[in-house]
Amino acid sequence: MVAHHKPRVLIAEDDPDTLVILRINLNAAGIEPMLAGDGHTALERIEAESPDAVLLDVMLPGIDGWQVLERLHESGDPVPVIVCSGKDNVHDLQRARDLGAVAYLVKPFDIDRLIDVTSEIVGLRRADAGVERGTIADAELA
Amino acid sequence: MRNHRQNETDRLRRDARIAGLRDFQTPSLEAVEQRRRELWQRTATALALIAVVVVAFAIVPSDRLAEAGTGRILFVIVGVGGGLFLWAFHKETALERLTRSLTDERVLTAALTNRLHEVSLLLDAGKQMNAHLQMDELLDTILRSACELLDATGGSVMLVEETDLVTVCALGRDAAVGQRMRLGEGVAGYVAIRRDPVLIDGHVDPELFPGLVLREPYVESAMSVPLVRRAELQGVLNVNAPIGRSFTEYDLRALAVFAEQAALAVANARLYEAERAHVAALLDLRKRREVS
Repeated sequence: MVAHHKPRVLIAEDDPDTLVILRINLNAAGIEPMLAGDGHTALERIEAESPDAVLLDVMLPGIDGWQVLERLHESGDPVPVIVCSGKDNVHDLQRARDLGAVAYLVKPFDIDRLIDVTSEIVGLRRADAGVERGTIADAELA
Repeated sequence: MRNHRQNETDRLRRDARIAGLRDFQTPSLEAVEQRRRELWQRTATALALIAVVVVAFAIVPSDRLAEAGTGRILFVIVGVGGGLFLWAFHKETALERLTRSLTDERVLTAALTNRLHEVSLLLDAGKQMNAHLQMDELLDTILRSACELLDATGGSVMLVEETDLVTVCALGRDAAVGQRMRLGEGVAGYVAIRRDPVLIDGHVDPELFPGLVLREPYVESAMSVPLVRRAELQGVLNVNAPIGRSFTEYDLRALAVFAEQAALAVANARLYEAERAHVAALLDLRKRREVS
């Protein structure tokens, strides 16, 4: 019903500090943040509010990030998902790729890098952050 | 951070004012929904009245309408209707922004509450563990607290003895107590060598865990975390999920945090045991001297 001028990004993260920090930084970058503290809320808000992208932490209470990604993949929801994980192993990267994630960021992440990647995915910036839609940011892995 | 918080509060108040929620210092989601219902009920009623008037004008004979300057009146009425709709749309925009902001606030509050609950549970578990210095009692407390924390049905604690891991405490499978496996063997051995927590969900890849022995009943979901104190491996803590439930990465992190405290308690109990053995040896030596 209401036109949105700013791209909207859902932050699915259980840590309140990270939620606040990401909200402030995304706001400053011209992105409207939406918050979800668990997997259920993330899925509900994705379905109800159709964000332009999702920043998805793997460790979420209830339904974890992998299950959220699986459900989105199964339902064919085209929302681009950036997976945020503390693990930098190839197995998890491959899993994220198989489930249709567009980027994989390893925690602790550089906030500027995260904003660059997110901005690029939601179309606020040209493709200069090394991420293309439909591909994984392999460069994030050591 | 404080400026951001102030900006958020100001934005909430501004949207609340626009949406007609002047009485609310901090509007609730329920109040916003109620205001939305009222807004659209009133708008719909007003638009229906306008429609009735327009239809009435259409029914009345044209010669009588011409006398009354109906064209202008109709123009004004339709204009009022359009203005009313735009006004309602403007309010709806503010209400939608409010809904999103309030949902975000609820999410943040819930995240904080969850974190506080988690910290409180871990503190309680820490207190319980630190109340014991006897190894047997401590291991039992560790295992029970871990199962309680994660709604697990059972599990085990394995301690390092030279190049082996020995099951010293078990819940749900008593026969496991006393079993030995070499470091590097099976899931627990893998965790001990890598010092990395492992989440098992579904079938286990025997190639990933050499020396793995599948046992009955088969556990669908389980977690193993290392007990490490000051870079020294004390052992491995394993917990099993009840049938039909799967552990998640979130549970794994909680168990890993719990294991840090458990490792400290085990290290302290070992020191206490060593100290007691040392004192016993000294007392024994003294007795022997007295006898001789």
